[in-house]
Parts: sequence; C-alpha cells; structure tokens
Amino acid sequence: MSLLERDPNAPDAWLGEMPITSRYTAGVAGERFFRAIKDEGKILGSPCDRCGITYVPARQFCERCMDELDETVDVGTVGEVHTFTLLFENLDGTQREEPEVVAFISLGDGGLVHKLDEIHLDDLEIGLLVEAVFKPEAERQGSILDITYFRPVPS
Amino acid sequence: MTSKTDEFPGTPLREADFSEGKILYRHDEMNGQYAWDTGVGIGSYLAALKTGVILGSHCRTCRKTVVPPRTVCEWCFRPMDSYVPLLDTGTVNTFSLCYVTWDVKRIKEPEIPAVIEIDGASPLHGIMHKLGEVEPDEVQIGMRVQAVWKPEEDREGSITDILYFKPIKEG
Repeated sequence: MSLLERDPNAPDAWLGEMPITSRYTAGVAGERFFRAIKDEGKILGSPCDRCGITYVPARQFCERCMDELDETVDVGTVGEVHTFTLLFENLDGTQREEPEVVAFISLGDGGLVHKLDEIHLDDLEIGLLVEAVFKPEAERQGSILDITYFRPVPS
Repeated sequence: MTSKTDEFPGTPLREADFSEGKILYRHDEMNGQYAWDTGVGIGSYLAALKTGVILGSHCRTCRKTVVPPRTVCEWCFRPMDSYVPLLDTGTVNTFSLCYVTWDVKRIKEPEIPAVIEIDGASPLHGIMHKLGEVEPDEVQIGMRVQAVWKPEEDREGSITDILYFKPIKEG
C-alpha cells in the first residue's frame, strides 16, 4: 500500500475522554461575601476609605491603592440596572420562546451580573431599580444562585 | 499598602475544611472529550495491531526502519518507501518501576513501563509499553521480551491490543 493513502481499515480518529475536575474556592473576601448571602441574605461590599470606593462583591484588596480591606458593609439588596441583554438561546443551544434577561446590576460602586424576572420586557430599561429575591434560607448553598433573580422594586 | 502584612502567609486549607463544610467551594467537571486524527502512518499502525502485527516503515535511502511507522523520513525528509511488518519480539532498552497509577493512586505491585526495541526495526528504535509476567527485581536492560496479545476478537486497533511484553524464556 502506498504510504500516502489511508488504510481503509484504520480508525478515522482516536476518541477519548479526559477526566477534568476542579474545585473553586471564593477566597478570603469571597468566602465572607457568599457566607453573608447564605446565612443572612445580605449582599456585602468592601469600602476603601482612602479611595472612597465600595467594591461589590466584597474583595480583600483595593485595586487602586492596594490597601487591605478588612471591613465589609451591607450594600442592601436593591440595585440599578446598569445594562442588560436578552438571551433567546439556552446553554445547550436550544431556542427559547421567552427570552431570559441578564443584567449587570449596580450595587455600591460595583455590582453583580444576574438574571431579571417578574418583569415585562416593555418595562425593562437602564436605570430600573431592582431587588434581589433570595432562595429560602434552608435551600441556600453559598452560591450566587442563592439569589434566584432580581425583580423590579414594587412601587 | 501592604504595610500591615509582614509576611504573606496565605490561607492554608485542609481536606477536612471542605468535607466538614467550613469552606464554600464549587466542584466542577468539564467536558474533556476529544477526537485525535490518527493520520496515515499511525492509522495503518493501529489497523495492523488489530491483525496482530507491529508495523514499521522503511526508508531505502537512509536504510532506516522506524516504529511506529512514519510517512516521512526523519533523516532525509523524503517520503518513506514502504511499510514493514516487524516481529513481536524485542529487547528492553530502558524501564521504570512505577508505584503510582496514572491518576496518582499508590499501588503495591509496580507497573513496569519500558521502551522495547522491536526486532526488525533499526537498532535503538522501539515503542513504549508495559512488561508483565516478570518479577520487578528481575527486569534488566537488554532483556529479551515478546508481546502478549489480546484474543483476536477483543482487539480494537489500539496499542492496548498488546497487553504487555513478557520475558522470552531462555532455552
């Protein structure tokens, strides 16, 4: 057989699977942040007195002056829609009839990316005030998904 | 700045911190599926293994026979001239006693990976495989070995169609 032709009996490709597992910890400040969500239903930020900035989520060091941030403050559960997008496709690529709304919600001088729900798309606008809806305390696991979604603040 | 920090001790964690729920963490399993194109040479090699043959390839110009078969000669960069069926015997070129598995579990009985120079290939040309049916402390460089094949119906065109190499008994 020529050395330039594929052997018709040869496998086209070698198929395999690599077991890849990971364990992610949130770090010192992240641990405080998620504990507060889990145990108290609070969203924490880290104020830097020198720079006059409150980072949300909480973090351990000020990224401007590098000072260590020991304190945390409760920044409340109401934020403002900073920007948003509508998702018409699920994670697995299937199409959605009703879009999922994902927004960056400003809290303190930072904010969170999260889902919006209980909202009419016509009402959706930048600057809208939204509040966090938490899972029942018994179901919380110390994850950002302990906040089920954000919804417009009832007026 | 970091004046409050004389040292940088970090935050050590123990396995118990996770199992006892002292630390929040996220466990993730990523999809690691892959498909590797075997190419012309290795494809032929795997197809030959299924038929119980170790295949090499020969360059007439350089008078070299390599295993596994390449389609291009490493010395003169010209196409190789032909495939060559080799013997399933060989000589241990080097070996190791391995007391951990691929996923880092300790084992009492070592696995013995070895490079085996295959008979029919040019000197010092061989493949990596395992040794079996041998006491770990009896393995020697230069030892003559022979392939132990899977039953024909179980072969799938894989290097594991050879289970291991075992010593050839003298005399």
